[in-house]
Amino acid sequence: MSAYPTTCPFCACGCGFYLLSNNGQLAGVAPSENHPVSGGKLCARGWSAHEATLWGDRLRRPLLRRNGKPEPVPWGEALDYITGRLQALISAGKPVGLLGSPRASNEENYLAAKFARAGLQTNNVDFSYHSTCRPLLSGIGDVYGDRTPTASINTIESCQTVLLVEGDLAKTHPRVASAVMKAVENGAHLITVGYRTTQMARLSSLHLSVLPGDEGEVITGLLAAVFDLQQQNGTPAAAVCGGYESFCQNVKNIKRTAELQQAAEWIVRAPRATFLLAVNGGHGDQSRKDAATFASLAAISGHPERPGSGLLLLLPRSNVRGACDMGSACGHLPGYVSFDDEKARQRLQQLWSKKLPSERGWEAEELLQHVSGLIILADDPPSVVPMGQRAMAALEKIEFLAVLDAFVTPTIRAAHVALPIASFAETEGTLTNMEGRVQRLRAAANPPGEAKAGSQVLAELCSSFGVGDAYSSTKDVLREITQAVPRYAAVEQLPKDGWGDVLLENSDNPDFQLDFTGSQGVEALACAERPYVLVREGSFDWGRDPLVYYSPTLSRDYQSERKLFPNGFVEMSKRDADARNLSGGRRVRIASAYGDTIVPIQLRTDLKAGVVSVPYAFRDHLASVLGPDHATAVSIELP
Amino acid sequence: MAFVIGKQATTTWLQKLLECGEVIAPVRGPCGDILFSSVHSPDQVAWDFQNSLSPPKQAVLPQTDPLIKITRNAGSYEVEPVYDDARRFLFNVRSCDATGIAFLTQMYEMEPADASYLRRARSLTIISLACNKPCPLGFCICSGSGPFLSEGYDVQLTDLGESYLVEVGSEKGEAAISGASNLFRSATEEEVSQRQRMEVEAKNHFEEETCHFASAMRRISTGRVQDALWEKMSDWCLECGACNMVCPTCYCFSVKDLSEDGTWIRCRIWDSCQYSAFTLEASGHNPRADRKQRMKRRFFHKVSAQYYQRDGVVGCVGCGRCIKVCLGSTDMPAVVGAIRKGKWNE
Amino acid sequence: MNDAFLPEIARLVGVADETPDTKTFSLRFRDAHNGGNFHFLPGQFLELSVFGYGEAPFCIASSPTRPHTLEATVRRTGQLTGALHRLGPGEEVGIRGPFGNGFDVAGARGKDLLFVAGGIGLPPLRSLIWNVLDERSRFGKVTILYGARTPTDLVYKQELEEWGKRSDVELHVTVDVAQPGWTGNVGVVPSLFRKITLHPDSTLAYVCGPPIMIRITVHDLLALGFKEEAVISTLERMMQCGIGKCNHCAIGHRYVCRDGPVFNCAQIKELVE
Repeated sequence: MSAYPTTCPFCACGCGFYLLSNNGQLAGVAPSENHPVSGGKLCARGWSAHEATLWGDRLRRPLLRRNGKPEPVPWGEALDYITGRLQALISAGKPVGLLGSPRASNEENYLAAKFARAGLQTNNVDFSYHSTCRPLLSGIGDVYGDRTPTASINTIESCQTVLLVEGDLAKTHPRVASAVMKAVENGAHLITVGYRTTQMARLSSLHLSVLPGDEGEVITGLLAAVFDLQQQNGTPAAAVCGGYESFCQNVKNIKRTAELQQAAEWIVRAPRATFLLAVNGGHGDQSRKDAATFASLAAISGHPERPGSGLLLLLPRSNVRGACDMGSACGHLPGYVSFDDEKARQRLQQLWSKKLPSERGWEAEELLQHVSGLIILADDPPSVVPMGQRAMAALEKIEFLAVLDAFVTPTIRAAHVALPIASFAETEGTLTNMEGRVQRLRAAANPPGEAKAGSQVLAELCSSFGVGDAYSSTKDVLREITQAVPRYAAVEQLPKDGWGDVLLENSDNPDFQLDFTGSQGVEALACAERPYVLVREGSFDWGRDPLVYYSPTLSRDYQSERKLFPNGFVEMSKRDADARNLSGGRRVRIASAYGDTIVPIQLRTDLKAGVVSVPYAFRDHLASVLGPDHATAVSIELP
Repeated sequence: MAFVIGKQATTTWLQKLLECGEVIAPVRGPCGDILFSSVHSPDQVAWDFQNSLSPPKQAVLPQTDPLIKITRNAGSYEVEPVYDDARRFLFNVRSCDATGIAFLTQMYEMEPADASYLRRARSLTIISLACNKPCPLGFCICSGSGPFLSEGYDVQLTDLGESYLVEVGSEKGEAAISGASNLFRSATEEEVSQRQRMEVEAKNHFEEETCHFASAMRRISTGRVQDALWEKMSDWCLECGACNMVCPTCYCFSVKDLSEDGTWIRCRIWDSCQYSAFTLEASGHNPRADRKQRMKRRFFHKVSAQYYQRDGVVGCVGCGRCIKVCLGSTDMPAVVGAIRKGKWNE
Repeated sequence: MNDAFLPEIARLVGVADETPDTKTFSLRFRDAHNGGNFHFLPGQFLELSVFGYGEAPFCIASSPTRPHTLEATVRRTGQLTGALHRLGPGEEVGIRGPFGNGFDVAGARGKDLLFVAGGIGLPPLRSLIWNVLDERSRFGKVTILYGARTPTDLVYKQELEEWGKRSDVELHVTVDVAQPGWTGNVGVVPSLFRKITLHPDSTLAYVCGPPIMIRITVHDLLALGFKEEAVISTLERMMQCGIGKCNHCAIGHRYVCRDGPVFNCAQIKELVE
């Protein structure tokens, strides 16, 4: 039995463990007491991390679709074919694009982005999950620029106050939930904000129950209450930041309730505090504003200056951060710097010896619907993007689609060319977790059949488009990354062996720009005709992620749910249902301004009255009702 | 009859064992953790540690355990067991882990017996080292599985300083010594007394009993643990299953067929009763849909009188691993303590 | 020691449609020798391997008095049962077993027997019913109450007719919802109680079906004076190994695959969930 230390590929906590293998075949997982994030602990996903690679439907040979049927072809033929088709599309002036991956390594994402921007000469580069998290990243960026005072998971347990805008932390990020629990055990005050009395809410000192979409109102109130306390304390820190004058004006009109004042006290008095923000899948401006308000709240509290305090955006998938930093994000260049950053552009052009296109490209959901040629790295967009199955319809219309993945997914099945690459367990590379911690992936087995390292395939594609020299290993790619992304310079020192890691964030005395427009929340969604708020719950469907889907242990709940509810379901508060004599399983007609549908209800005692929730996995069934939003007012009637 | 082997000579003994079979021993890996692995030379064996985080139960019950091979021949199928009865030595484990494996063997011997497990277990000789200085989180003394064993071992070593006292507890243990008999001499009375003294000292290291199984057992077995207490405690569990994975006496599993180039290997894979899907039926009905029900189930299996009567031992060896790996705070001593007191301390 | 996980190969010798989603599979061991060695009691189950899909537990629906062909009645609910439904005569499957405690047939001798079944609950009882009918003189009165949602959902339609025609069996069949052409009873299974006379002291009752039907029937039987030990049912749980090791089917320290699946009401009451 050999043990290979590697980083967990599931969520963005970035835990570590040993992959165990017997004669080159994966056999299990062992924890490591010495790991900087997990310290010997793992969640259910981590314990089964080896399963998908072993049990999954693996791509073993390059496949080319001929006469509607996928045929195995040699690598050379597949790559030449891709090159030919893409060149033809480009010559014909048709748009091409590329989607990177929140589950691929930094090296893979970097080469993919380089291939697209320098090779294909397009900025139609994004990754599917970016649509969902971009507003929050932007909002936080509006306040902190590119120097967010990111918390470390390990410091959470020594905080005296934790503010958590949920998600369902126990399910999405068990390692963080563990740290929050330890903090509470040590006497910390946990403040939760959400529409569900989740496990974390039950452990809280104060649960601020809000309707979906109204989180901003609570955060704003909290911001104002914290501001009051800071004024009383005569804390001058805030005065040196930008936007302070207008902030003081705008904050006067905000209502501060007694609850919010109590929460504010806990926040201000705490020597150390952590601010946790889940990605709720809200689109656009309001989400961005709410994130900016949240970041302003943290800033105003004075905590970001203090070691042991910080902010964490709870990214769901292991390398969302890495995909952003490597340039797989639309509207940004490698380093997640603004697309308009001329210095960054110059540096890249020099490094890549290629002029870069200046037209801003499409973001993921738009991209899917408009390109004629598309390369997808290790992703299945219909299971990730909010538009769901409509993304599949879009994919099927694309003239030329080539997909790289280790696992067979619906997107692979729709591809004209499918290229087999190594899974995380067979890959050497790095991942960047939500703390900004860069850690190594280590191969514990060889990829099956003719599958190759993803970075190798992408390097070959780069070559065939006249970009980049041969890389002798992922080490070379990493070195180039440190040149392309200045913030990653320290990653050059990432130790070869052991649990070495590099923390990117540096939160010493960050400057910030208070971003606060003064409005308290939006108009209430619900009204007399449509007295409930339907919300799309969460922002990520784990059941369709190959690492879960193909794991016998992890996939059971999800498979069962999908089997039992082929047409989806919504959750309704038991109190609301009882008031209308609706029993569990009853089919109802749920209607919004956008449309209506008939769907069965499941009753929940932990759901706030007035809320109806559809799990992210079943969003397609409610697509006509939700419209473009993640929450909307609805009526519920018997069909 | 007790023997003594000089510490230097242990290297030679190990070499002899390596000639007879596979030797699995604790090895310190590149990241500093102790992991049980197959060794090729005596100097790979680590000695300077209290206990590994991963228990050595993988030696008899691997996380992915091939049981049966199914081959297809045109429209016909052939099936054969996957035989693993290779001779192995599990070297330098602790008393708790030796007891754990003995417990697992007892489970798999119960009718109907599991031949696959027993083939492996019966060809495994366990050489354990008694704990002179018990580990800080351990409570083996509460379950009779340490720090020293009086029975249920193949070979028990005690560190006397320059040498090890060697107690043989079974035929397999004898066979492990006999191949290198020139390295062992009879122990003197003084050496035997020294071992007895060390056991007493080791026991005294436990400040007080750290895990009161008896009273918890009474309450669990008679249904006198309030539902509200299970509910409260289960809020502090994150359903990671780590307690089951690292527990030397946990053995829940699922059976799944792994497809491999035209054949299938039917494997036993580790599972956890803390996962909600553990009792999920095909119909969608789940008798333990709530976390508190699953927690109740776990502690009934570990600490009930019903199981104690069936097995003759409590389902815990007091190794303390669940304390280290629990993502929440619902480890064995914490829950047993809460059941005793009737409330969960926060 | 036999490898407990090693299946014996069996061939399908017949497939009969019972309802649109239920079929009865008749199996014979490929190696005839094994057929002679497979001794089972009614109420026991086997683990059936559909190669390529895995293994699942199914109760043996045939009687040990007719040992050369094993029968299992299976509803199509997922991947494995779907694959099984696509198999035809001559194709091979794997069988492990028999597992479980089975019904106490000897203990039922001389008694009056009441069988109450709903829907797919009839197959486990059918094994016992045929055992009893094949040794008819050993047992007292035989009463069978059976119901399904609609006439289409009734299983063993031909056998029901056969049983109905026998003078030594009292059979009542009902459906929740009638369909055109149905001339029989309409109503839930417990409603059939008013059609029969019961002697609780000398009768054993066997109840199998949807949980709610079992609950109501058991309640009615106990109210009529049946002792808890005389009301017998089968429990269902997620099962994998069949040999009491994997712990999926454990209820307290009892294992449905070893101590069950047959339990009487007194035993069920004692189970610690």
